[in-house]
Amino acid sequence: MTTAVLFLLLFGCMLLGMPIAIALGFSSIVTILLFSSDSLASVALKLFEAVSAHYTLLAIPFFILSSQFLSTGGVAKRLIRFAVDVVGHIKGGLAMASVLACMLFAAVSGSSPATVAAIGTIVIAGMVRSGYPKAFAAGVIANAGTLGILIPPSIVMLVYAAATEVSAARMFMAGFIPGIMMGGLLMLAIYVVARIKQLPSQPWPGLREVMSAGFSASGGILLIVIVLGSIYGGIASPTEAAAVSAVYAFLVSVIGYRDMGPLKATPWRKTGEGAAAMLVRNGWQVPLAIMRSVGDDEVRKTVLDGAKVSIMLLFIIANAMLFAHVLTTERIPHQIAETIVAYGMEPWMFLIVVNLLLLAAGNFMEPSAILLIMAPILFPIATQLGIDPIHLGIIMVVNMEIGMLTPPVGLNLFVTSGITGESMGWVIRAVLPWMLLLLVFLLLITYVPQISLFLPEYLDKLQGYR
Amino acid sequence: DDPVVIKFSHVVAENTPKGQMANRFKELVAEKTGGAVVVEVYPNSQLFGDDKVLEAMLLGDVQMAAPALSKFSRYTDVLALYDLPFLFQDLDAVDRFQQSEQGQAMLDSISRKGLIGLGYLHNGMKQLSSSKPLRTPEDAAGLKFRIMSSEVLEAQFKAVDAAPLKKPFSEVFTLLQTRAIDGQENTWSNIYSKKFFEVQPYITESNHGLLDYMVVTSKEFWMGLPDEQRAQVNAALREALDFGNQIARDKAIEDKGLIAESGRSEILELTPEQRAQWVEAMKPVWKKFEKEIGADLIDAAYAANTTDNQVASATDGQ
Amino acid sequence: MFFRIVNRVEEAIISLLLVAMTLLVFWEVILRFGFSTGVSWGQEATLHLSAWFVLFGASYGLKVGAHIGVDAFLRLFAPLGQRLLTGVALILSLAYCGLFIYGSWVYLAKMHMIGIELEDIPVPAWLAHGILLVGFVFLGIRLLELFWRVIVGRATGFAMVDEAKESMQLADELRAESAPAATDGGAR
Ligand code: NA
Ligand code: NA
Repeated sequence: MTTAVLFLLLFGCMLLGMPIAIALGFSSIVTILLFSSDSLASVALKLFEAVSAHYTLLAIPFFILSSQFLSTGGVAKRLIRFAVDVVGHIKGGLAMASVLACMLFAAVSGSSPATVAAIGTIVIAGMVRSGYPKAFAAGVIANAGTLGILIPPSIVMLVYAAATEVSAARMFMAGFIPGIMMGGLLMLAIYVVARIKQLPSQPWPGLREVMSAGFSASGGILLIVIVLGSIYGGIASPTEAAAVSAVYAFLVSVIGYRDMGPLKATPWRKTGEGAAAMLVRNGWQVPLAIMRSVGDDEVRKTVLDGAKVSIMLLFIIANAMLFAHVLTTERIPHQIAETIVAYGMEPWMFLIVVNLLLLAAGNFMEPSAILLIMAPILFPIATQLGIDPIHLGIIMVVNMEIGMLTPPVGLNLFVTSGITGESMGWVIRAVLPWMLLLLVFLLLITYVPQISLFLPEYLDKLQGYR
Repeated sequence: DDPVVIKFSHVVAENTPKGQMANRFKELVAEKTGGAVVVEVYPNSQLFGDDKVLEAMLLGDVQMAAPALSKFSRYTDVLALYDLPFLFQDLDAVDRFQQSEQGQAMLDSISRKGLIGLGYLHNGMKQLSSSKPLRTPEDAAGLKFRIMSSEVLEAQFKAVDAAPLKKPFSEVFTLLQTRAIDGQENTWSNIYSKKFFEVQPYITESNHGLLDYMVVTSKEFWMGLPDEQRAQVNAALREALDFGNQIARDKAIEDKGLIAESGRSEILELTPEQRAQWVEAMKPVWKKFEKEIGADLIDAAYAANTTDNQVASATDGQ
Repeated sequence: MFFRIVNRVEEAIISLLLVAMTLLVFWEVILRFGFSTGVSWGQEATLHLSAWFVLFGASYGLKVGAHIGVDAFLRLFAPLGQRLLTGVALILSLAYCGLFIYGSWVYLAKMHMIGIELEDIPVPAWLAHGILLVGFVFLGIRLLELFWRVIVGRATGFAMVDEAKESMQLADELRAESAPAATDGGAR
């Protein structure tokens, strides 16, 4: 009864077009009023606890802020140039380079649509000009873009970590091999198709250009080192690494690359300027520029955009915690778990159910919202069935990736349709064959837990513990 | 009649001493009141975390909880006594003081804020774990230690020139594992259950501090119970606390053994001289908090270390 | 004019809160890694900044349409139907707000009465948690404003942001920038 009311209210409100955050909060508070003795004051207290007691969650606004600076700051362009130089000369090389660029961008950004937009805009046009079918280009990018949430850092993983209290650092580590594997699978498929369809390759640009491109992209690539290095190298926790990454991303785009902000028109070295003069000029210009950023329109807009996305996500999360609170106090996951165990459901059967459920939800909802509603239900059941929480997390993330490619609500579809100017129907057809690859990948991830668990467990062993 | 419901909210797993104590309390209350009072136990921060549970209790939505003694700093100064380093030499001394008149009176120190302490529950004596061997106070100088939020604990580490850092419990493992933080202080059972021993190669058996909980309820709820039921519930709690305290003692020994057996960290024992150095370095902290806590209270607690000062077993709280 | 100022002030506060908490955490890392020390009030301050950020920002988010939702069902209806359904959703949202305003009030009053402070920062708890009330009152005002616009027919729904559209905007900017650079084949 309680369960029915809770979910009916939630879905009813969502159908009415209510913001998901309010729908979650409203259905929870009404259920509490109807079925429990809790006071409204303690519900307010619980909401305050949700926004003020989870240090790990702070990584979300920080990573969003950092992604915002990187997406607007021209980092994408430099990553693409580097990727094309490295693998462009292979058959189908430009498409492979696009996948590689998506992987690199995914390793600095936590969001999938941002990855598609940042990389896709430039490379789809480039591929079409080089003689690739447009549908081929669009399909590859829409799929590779989903890596944004599988390759760490990942907003969706942080949300999962917050919902289940598994370690965010371990989740990040666990996403690494699956991410590289899926990128590799995509590239392999591209190579096969390129052989059959006789797709073009780029000329080898020469080692000098590769080095130069690598240097130019190093500002972005260094961020991967900073984020993962500081988490695993003993400087910071994921939350702290996220804050460092936000500050770094600001410095790279405003001071390093100067694609935005007060130094936009001022090069590091003016033509004909001596080294000493350059050092002196930058010596006062750089600190001044950091201070002047406060009043800079572009910088302020970037921060505000980051703030908007963060507020939206964190407000959903806070209300979803209230929702999870109702679920646990009403022992709803418990009851479902007991039913499942009573049915004698095997772990492998349960995982099929999980996948079907998540794929269905992925059709209609946004990843973080799905995770926040489903994780508190699925997690205790999985624990009872002996499924590793980290493994379950990766399964959920891969499902969310597929959800971004399925209509009617598929963020990557929308972005791809926007970039290419083609209809949704066209994009869906273009994406479909590559998405089948992703489904095969999901099966692999689901039934070979070692893919996800190998790295975190290996690292543990390396440091001498279980 | 509908039974009176006691929501007991705690933040640890059900198999810990606190979790077992809560579950035992639930059984005993059912037994003693014949079902007139029902205890619902909510483990694992399902209802509220330690920071907010007392506020929820004041709102009347949680009836009982057992936060660590350091968590009461917003409600009273005197309970900081239990954070003072090297005040008690072992759990027996702690028991003697807690059951004394002064120890029992401290349970009432939060009553001005609408809360009542019903009794103490042990987790155990704290040890120092670190990535470097700590034998003398000099070894700790310059190292970073995680502490829970407490001014006394902050002063304690500053007294040996170490850097105390407040970090949420959920981040401690990662920070220790990656050596972002050098060490921490905790009881054997926490070091074992939170797997800190796997990432801390050295544990100094310092017994330098105490990690205890206080079972609390709200005055409004407690005084609202009929006298008979209050007595029954109180009796059930005494029994459950004895039960929980015994588990805590057993578990400390057992977990220390398991850690030693694992071979993942070396357990260092202090010579009397080394221990004296630590005491000397940290004891000035007492003076620092003397005014807030009360000099006579500190003296009384310290006196509990010698058995001849033993106070006859205390009356039962209320 | 007045609304422009309100708008700028709101945006400034939100950005400031986000930047402040980022820099505070960053600063703590620098202190710990470089100087082996910390900020004893840092953690509590960061967490409270984040609470203020989210609760203060929620109403701003509603104004600029930053909250996400599902409007596929709503779009099946004619504009009048959409306005009716949105009206229902708004009434329920106002109820949500009202319940929270009431709950926050009772909670804050209790904190005020008991007079406790935060753990590491000497600020009364009711003041630090007061953003609960402020946030939901602001959210309520914004909901009423939207309700009015739906009634007079200037809005048919919550006008939620499309994360996809947002990313598209970025795509447009990138395209504009890279148009000249991309002519020499590929992305170089
Ligand atoms: Na990523
Ligand atoms: Na979808």
